[in-house]
Amino acid sequence: MKATAINSNFPLVSHRDASLGYRRREHALMLLLMSPAVLVVFVLLLIPLGWLIGQSFYADGFTLEHYQRIFTEGIYWNTFWVTFRISFIVTLLALLMGYPIAYAASILPRRWSVLVLALVILPFWTSVLVRAYAWLILLQRSGVVNESLMGVGLIDAPLALVHNELGTIIATVHILLPFMVLPLYATMQKIPHDLIQAGASLGGTPLHVFMRVFFPLSLSGVLAGMTLVFVLCLGFYITPELVGGGRTVMASMLVSRNIQLYSDWGAASAVSVVLLLCVLAIFYVVSRLVPLEKILGAK
Amino acid sequence: MMKDTNCLKYLFGSSVMVIGALGAGQTLADGEITFVSQGGAYQDAQTVAILDPVAEALGITIRQESAPDAWPMIRTQGTTGQAVWDVVDTPPFNCIKGGEQDLIEPLDFSRIPNAEGMPEEYKTPYSVAYEFYSSVLAYNPEAFDGNPPQSWADFWNVEDFPGNRSLRNYPVGTLEAALLADGVAPDDIYPIDVDRAYEKLEEIKPYITTWWTSGGQSAQLLNDEEVDMLMMWNGRVSSIMNEGANADFTYNQGFLQSTHLCIIKDAPNLDTAVEFVNAAIAPEYQANLPLHIDYGPGNPAAFDRGTISEERAGELPSSPENAAKQVLISYEWWTSDDGVEAERRWLEFMQR
Amino acid sequence: MNKLSLSRITFMGYVALVLAFLILPLLIVVPMSFSDSRFLSFPPSNYSFRWYDSLFNNPGWMSAAKTSLIVAFSTALIATPIGVAAAYAINNSSHWLMRYLKIVLLLPLIVPIIIVATGVFFIYALSGVLYTIPGLVMADVMLALPYVITAVTAGLHGFDQTQEMVARSLGMNRFRAFMSVTLPQIMPSVVTGAIFAFIQALDETMVALFISGGQNQPLTVRMFTALRDEIDPTIAAISTLLTAASFALVLLLVLARRQSPT
Repeated sequence: MKATAINSNFPLVSHRDASLGYRRREHALMLLLMSPAVLVVFVLLLIPLGWLIGQSFYADGFTLEHYQRIFTEGIYWNTFWVTFRISFIVTLLALLMGYPIAYAASILPRRWSVLVLALVILPFWTSVLVRAYAWLILLQRSGVVNESLMGVGLIDAPLALVHNELGTIIATVHILLPFMVLPLYATMQKIPHDLIQAGASLGGTPLHVFMRVFFPLSLSGVLAGMTLVFVLCLGFYITPELVGGGRTVMASMLVSRNIQLYSDWGAASAVSVVLLLCVLAIFYVVSRLVPLEKILGAK
Repeated sequence: MMKDTNCLKYLFGSSVMVIGALGAGQTLADGEITFVSQGGAYQDAQTVAILDPVAEALGITIRQESAPDAWPMIRTQGTTGQAVWDVVDTPPFNCIKGGEQDLIEPLDFSRIPNAEGMPEEYKTPYSVAYEFYSSVLAYNPEAFDGNPPQSWADFWNVEDFPGNRSLRNYPVGTLEAALLADGVAPDDIYPIDVDRAYEKLEEIKPYITTWWTSGGQSAQLLNDEEVDMLMMWNGRVSSIMNEGANADFTYNQGFLQSTHLCIIKDAPNLDTAVEFVNAAIAPEYQANLPLHIDYGPGNPAAFDRGTISEERAGELPSSPENAAKQVLISYEWWTSDDGVEAERRWLEFMQR
Repeated sequence: MNKLSLSRITFMGYVALVLAFLILPLLIVVPMSFSDSRFLSFPPSNYSFRWYDSLFNNPGWMSAAKTSLIVAFSTALIATPIGVAAAYAINNSSHWLMRYLKIVLLLPLIVPIIIVATGVFFIYALSGVLYTIPGLVMADVMLALPYVITAVTAGLHGFDQTQEMVARSLGMNRFRAFMSVTLPQIMPSVVTGAIFAFIQALDETMVALFISGGQNQPLTVRMFTALRDEIDPTIAAISTLLTAASFALVLLLVLARRQSPT
């Protein structure tokens, strides 16, 4: 790898550097440089994670009751079901909306593709809270969307677009769409143009070339984008809390309520552990196909 | 090389600055308290009526925060021993529950002389009544063409009263409404038949567009005609009526409630907090509140000040005439084991 | 390919629609902020500066803004050197531990934020830094580290390490060599990392919801409670300002990239 190439440069500094002692000191120094960052993550994330896992098995001694509850009590089942359902729909919608955008950005002349990407990135830089607020304005009963739909005569009575699962999905897709577009674009950009042209010159129709050549080559981006969106959605809290109307309860809201309302750390930690396991499992499986850095790159 | 040392100096200098700023922000100076209420029109009204005059009279600064459901924060601050709030304006059962769990300071009434003349039922060992309000049935009169819903039975009657509905995402008051709708007499509500109440709630659930979580949200829902009828706090309805919204309400079958003042356990400004509580329930300030919002004073002595006209008094939720149409929420029941269990069941109900 | 066929027009129309979906919600906030009504009706019937007034005259909002800025600056100030050091180590070491440590440093991005929040809340409650600014800063540093490290590692990849070696062989100690040779050259990526850290801290909501309170509430938490509790256009005013600020930062980032030698 890169690092070995650098090591081979060390003799430049002085001859004794190649010695084992130097290498050892070098390693020690690098680990030392690494340590503040690792320490922060260790104290603020790994220790609490360990404790959470411990809590999930604890109630006056070792117990599985918290996990049992997840699998037997309707509310827990339901929450996980809702969480996965929303994540699935959001991922699918994000793909349907994001793929054409990324494709357009990759085939358009540079000037236009920069504009498209800028329009994708701008919302990225706007607070999630601001966007939840915007959707409340747009989707409410007398909001812009309903008024215009009624104005053109598509509907007679206002639709219930917000304060429910539908509103949550719309707002969530809006927030996660950039996470789909960016890895897709990164992949598509690397697909060599001559390959497409070669396909076209061999007499394939554009659609045929797209399906046979372009699409298969973009699949790693599809996978990266879908994973990122799905996993991020699994842990969503702010959007469903603000636009879900109190009915759309997702897993992270369950964790928060168990802690803040009931101080029920056992239940909260069991839900957390299950959620974490789902996320880790998805990352593990996908990382066999696409490197982790590539998935997280967009984040 | 010069450039680098400059760069280092800059980094060092700014870290010192930031650390200084961090230190400065840490603790409140003497004579300041953090006061937490419910936000919106109500908080605006009491700022003018009570908080500003009290701050001036005592020479203190009152930092305001709002939390429509103060319980989670009371609980965390108490259990972690890291209090950041001083005085909370919240329903009395939060104070009692908190006091029993050692999250709320017991009040030393010898230091609160203004509470002396107040009726015993307006006080708990941990709190003292601050104001009276009512959860009423409010509606958009335009949606009902002269025949608006007047009772919870009407609210549940989706045939004769079609329209979007909203209730608070909170069991207290909501379970009582369900029982009234189911034909239970007001006097027989407590102890609440929890199963029956939830069963009745299941009936109306599909017709509830939004479960609101804060007074401000409920006001927005009615003002923007997002819903046609809902349970909300009377002061919030009248405040949007004053702003010209299509809204009205009835005291009939309303739920008369009060909020109390209580002090967080080991509050950072305990002494000032006690002083504040005493001043905030003083009749002269209490008498100001109804001038700014349709809520009644927690201290009945306020009515003797001459500030509140008789006509005004008649409009308040706690006036004898209005109180007679309403049900008094029993905080005793809600702090009992059955009440706590009924509260826990709420989340499960919301989920299904 | 360049022929304007019907399918091509349909495709571009669809793309334009999706882009509108992305952008319109951001724009709608701006006119809302100039509304003179308390409620969400759009378009506003009359315009005023009422909500900007209420924002700038409200000590609560102002102190939240101050907290947010202090936290964001401190986070950038702390996370950047720590992150640069870690990125340097990652880039220069082939130690077997590095691979695992690298994953550890990515964890804040992988673990669902609610779990991060719960964990930090727990450890802060134990150690007594709940509801303090240093507590907020450290949590944000952790969340910002992956961004700084990713940005700086990318910068180091493009940098020819032999230059630093040469400086060292000329007798400079390692730190001096890094500061005077390497750092100036990877500066654009360091600045990018710092800006990422700053924005991440400014934007962080979830963890702050758990660990901030009292006077040390950042803007995002106040916005969250306001949105949940009191939906009035003060939020639109602050949103407009925040959006403008983040656009300005994006511009800064683009400029930083422009100046980079690559």
